Amino acid sequence: MSMQMALPIAMIPGNSLIHRITPLPKMIWVVGYIVLAFSTTNIVILYSMALFAFLIAVISGVTRPLLKACVILVPIASSLLALQIIAPAVEKPWTSVGHIGALALYGNGVYYGFVLLGRIVASLIMALVVVMTTHPSDLFTTFAKLKIPYTFNFMLAMTLQLIPVFQREVGIIMSAQKSRGMKGRGFSAVLPSFVPVFVGAIERVQQLSISLESRGFGSAGIKTSYRQVKSRPSDWVVAIVGVVAIATLATMSIMRGTWNLSTVILFPHAFVFWLFVVAASVFAAVILVTVFYMFKR
Amino acid sequence: MPEPIVIFDDVSYAYPGTEELALRGVSLEIQAGEYVAILGLNGAGKTTLGLCVNGVIPTMLGGELTGTVTVAGLNVIEYPVREMAKVVGMVFDNPEFQMSQMSVAEEVALGLENAGVPYEDMKRIIPETLELVGLSGYEERSPLGLSGGQQQRLAIAAVLAMKPNILIMDEPTSNLDPIGKQEVFDMAAKLNRERGMTVIVIEHEVEVMARYADRVIVLDKGRVIMNGTPDDIFTRVTELATLNLRVPEAARVATLLAEKDLWQGPVPIRTEPAITAVNELLGATHA
Ligand SMILES: Nc1ncnc2c1ncn2[C@@H]1O[C@H](COP(=O)(O)OP(=O)(O)OP(=O)(O)O)[C@@H](O)[C@H]1O
Ligand SMILES: [Mg+2]
Repeated sequence: MSMQMALPIAMIPGNSLIHRITPLPKMIWVVGYIVLAFSTTNIVILYSMALFAFLIAVISGVTRPLLKACVILVPIASSLLALQIIAPAVEKPWTSVGHIGALALYGNGVYYGFVLLGRIVASLIMALVVVMTTHPSDLFTTFAKLKIPYTFNFMLAMTLQLIPVFQREVGIIMSAQKSRGMKGRGFSAVLPSFVPVFVGAIERVQQLSISLESRGFGSAGIKTSYRQVKSRPSDWVVAIVGVVAIATLATMSIMRGTWNLSTVILFPHAFVFWLFVVAASVFAAVILVTVFYMFKR
Repeated sequence: MPEPIVIFDDVSYAYPGTEELALRGVSLEIQAGEYVAILGLNGAGKTTLGLCVNGVIPTMLGGELTGTVTVAGLNVIEYPVREMAKVVGMVFDNPEFQMSQMSVAEEVALGLENAGVPYEDMKRIIPETLELVGLSGYEERSPLGLSGGQQQRLAIAAVLAMKPNILIMDEPTSNLDPIGKQEVFDMAAKLNRERGMTVIVIEHEVEVMARYADRVIVLDKGRVIMNGTPDDIFTRVTELATLNLRVPEAARVATLLAEKDLWQGPVPIRTEPAITAVNELLGATHA
């Protein structure tokens, strides 16, 4: 169906090596990634992690949807870097690398900016790859086995299940509005459709929760699972390799403070200057485009 | 006589935040194995009545409930809906709002998983249930990609898999074409006859109900105003007409004819006997 756009954060069906790994080792990798990303300030490690996660995405055949979802990083990255250059989050004294009008640019925060960005990029890509290669039901089955509180699991499951429904609803309402002569593209078209979607959503959520509860959702006692998640030796290998690699790097980082390379990796003044120009322009463009679409009718 | 499976004893109910009663002093009994049709205009309280049987009212929705609702010996106030689910399965009028899983098989599995049915049994029950509703071969399809009729049958399968004693269907065929409607009602009739399942159907199609139901309950403004066999109820043509309720065509025509002394004997409510009777009548006038 044309109305059903590809979901950026849903499973992309496939049969790759990565798809076949059971959820638990993948979850270990995601948690490990987050732990490592926050225990190091070594940008070599951080961007290697991001690159490695991206390679896994390529192997899984989810590159395109992953890149689509990563569009969210554009405003984050550009604003973060631009901000670090005009107002570094490190102690003074700052050394100026140049001026744009009255605006002074500093190089001191750039390393830290790349650290923050690296943490986000690495964790996000890994998490997205796992979500895109794992059947949600398998994920929840595993959560349940791990004794993750049922209500949390329930809310997460409900939210994920409602996403495609909402997407379709937006599609239906947009085409209805299009047939009444409204423009059916971009932000300006999506915005008015949110009102009926949310009104419908409340009714839908209530009806769905009544229906789920009427089928015993939330009952105490033993639950079984229709989808069988069986670990194979290869899953253990993936899990153990993940734990060892991440624990090693995390320990090495912690033993070296956070393995900060800001005194080793120095950014030339011209690089900082142009980085600011690019980041600020991209961020300004994002804002302008958003505002433009919001007011375009 | 055994204890009725559903007992309403002077039940009144107001939804939270409302003053007006959606049910007013409802008392009724339903025997195990009965096929009951609930009729009434929009807003008469039919859905509300159904929600009382499966315990969504008052446990989930809150509001003011007085009187007692007893289902399979259980006072619904004392049991969460998920416990009542073992006894009562309820299907609602908007099937799409009841779908939540990635595949048809998982949708049917949901209730079984919650009840802790072992995997081996699920592997047997799921295809059996899908067969029953005519959805064999759809196991791996997405529920959202099914037609309205298929979705409705899936919603029914999802509660049937749990083998409830009571099946409540709230306007189950409002989105279906005539063939889809027929399938759903044939299926319900079969469950009722062959498995002794108690069936409660909220339905506007009087013709269909005249054919299948053992009993008809008519609600109006939250009150039970008629309660009897289809033959009792559907022959009260003028009364039903004053209430703006539909009457089976056979009964309407026969009553009209009877007013003009053209019809003798009992008023039929089903189409086939009416046609036979009319043919006989015509034969007699021709002779
Ligand atoms: N969630 C609710 N909150 C408040 N009032 C409600 C709610 N649901 C129903 N009502 C009111 O309760 C009364 C009975 O509604 P109910 O849905 O039981 O009627 P119904 O016979 O099922 O009608 P329909 O044929 O339209 O489905 C109506 O007056 C309705 O407005
Ligand atoms: Mg209703």
